[in-house]
Amino acid sequence: MENNVIIKTRNVDFYYGSFRALTDVTMDFEQNRVTALIGPSGCGKSTLLRLLNRMNDLIDGTRVEGEILFEGRNIYAPDVDPVEIRRRIGMVFQKPNPFPKSIFNNVTYAPKLSGITNKAELETLAEQSLRQAVLWDEVKDILSRSAMTLSGGQQQRLCIARALAMKPDILLMDEPTSALDPISTAKIEELIDELKRLYTIIIVTHNMQQAARVSEYTGFFYIGKLIEFNNTEKIFTNPAVKQTEDYITGRFG
Amino acid sequence: MMAQSTMRWRYLKQKIFFGVVRLSALIISLALFGILAYIFFHGFRAITWDFLTLSPTDSMTAGGIMPAIVGTLYLTVGAIAVALPLGIVSAIYLTEYAKQGRWVRIIRIGVNCLAGVPSVVFGLFGLGFFVVFLKFGSSILAGSLTLGILILPTIIGASEEALKAVPQTFREASLALGVSKWQTISRIVLPSALPGILTGAILGVGRAAGETAPIMFTAAAFFTAALPKSIFDEVMALPYHIYVLATAGTNIEMTRPLQYGTALVLIALVLGIDLIAIVIRSSMRRKKRW
Repeated sequence: MENNVIIKTRNVDFYYGSFRALTDVTMDFEQNRVTALIGPSGCGKSTLLRLLNRMNDLIDGTRVEGEILFEGRNIYAPDVDPVEIRRRIGMVFQKPNPFPKSIFNNVTYAPKLSGITNKAELETLAEQSLRQAVLWDEVKDILSRSAMTLSGGQQQRLCIARALAMKPDILLMDEPTSALDPISTAKIEELIDELKRLYTIIIVTHNMQQAARVSEYTGFFYIGKLIEFNNTEKIFTNPAVKQTEDYITGRFG
Repeated sequence: MMAQSTMRWRYLKQKIFFGVVRLSALIISLALFGILAYIFFHGFRAITWDFLTLSPTDSMTAGGIMPAIVGTLYLTVGAIAVALPLGIVSAIYLTEYAKQGRWVRIIRIGVNCLAGVPSVVFGLFGLGFFVVFLKFGSSILAGSLTLGILILPTIIGASEEALKAVPQTFREASLALGVSKWQTISRIVLPSALPGILTGAILGVGRAAGETAPIMFTAAAFFTAALPKSIFDEVMALPYHIYVLATAGTNIEMTRPLQYGTALVLIALVLGIDLIAIVIRSSMRRKKRW
């Protein structure tokens, strides 16, 4: 079991200035599994997600304590290049955020900059990524059209394809369906189920049914602390902590 | 229920307010239109093919203004060539790289102060630094550099605004893909900000082409029939030519039509350069909509 852990946090504290947003978070994330992070707004789940690929580096005045080990190496060690980490740990955001470029150029943007110049190779990569994101059939004839012309749900799948084109090991998803309608949401959820065969997925969600539907493991956060972390089924049917039960039954949050 | 008379009073107030707003807009348009019309009616008779293509003759009381047109064109293009790269790079530093805090605030105050310095001071600085100290002499080079510094705050300000208007989500999306910060700026942020930056450049062009004081000591010649052969040559310039004809000419009253004609050409030149920039900008905007 321990062998399959791809990324883990050890006693992580995180500060925005003097405000402590996370306290003593220790978690293991298993390879090729979907782990959901749930909890009320401001509980620190998104903060933890953004710590895993060093996106919080972009915010001035933040500080991390503890360790986050990716394949056994602390990603916050001074000799680690955050750009390298982000290549291997991709991210999909709450609101679809395609670049104002063509669909094709959105998908191939990062691979091109990482050194792939062969046109045929880029085309193969684009098709492969768009197929994985189940968007290919909808866009194969309009690859040169602006990504901004797609619907919200399509844009989000494009963002997923864009992240997959870098062939990451882990895909972080920060409330990826909260800006989408139910049909687009269902598509993304199906997609997550497919993707976990190839990738490790960590998803933050406000939607408890979604967490129950897509994930194998669920962690419940409250005021910066990991309250309970277990099999999703266990969390949703028989939580060990009263706070978890109160939250998933909708008594607060 | 609101009393009928109270409602009527409210509508009246609204009408008065809208009236005042409309009137202000009207006054501004009229002022602009008035100036343009005044110059046009006084100047259009002077505009002939010879006026545009010949050098001044008879102690600048006849002939054309071609050397001044060419000179102003050179100086304006030179000023933009100096200020645009420098301004964009400064704005990138201030918005993308510098840690927001006291240091950046001081730089911003400095830039704003620079914008408020009277243009004749820039002229004197250019004379002391570029013309004398760096030994460029009175030349296109010294004039362009002086005008470049003059319009730098405008360009930095517009570029900063344009960079800030690029959604943060674009930067995050790019960085999260493992793209470096510099690549993110050069491939995503800068192209998205370019239309806004161009707006700053347009404002800069108008200012650079129209200024007299900064080029008086650094670039402008009272009279030269020859066109400049290098950037170390003096040139005539439209605003300075108007100034000379109107204050120090051999026959000020007689050359009035020439003065207005020159002013008309200057305005047309600035509008022409602006128009090119606006066309480029709108074609960029079409491609870069978000």
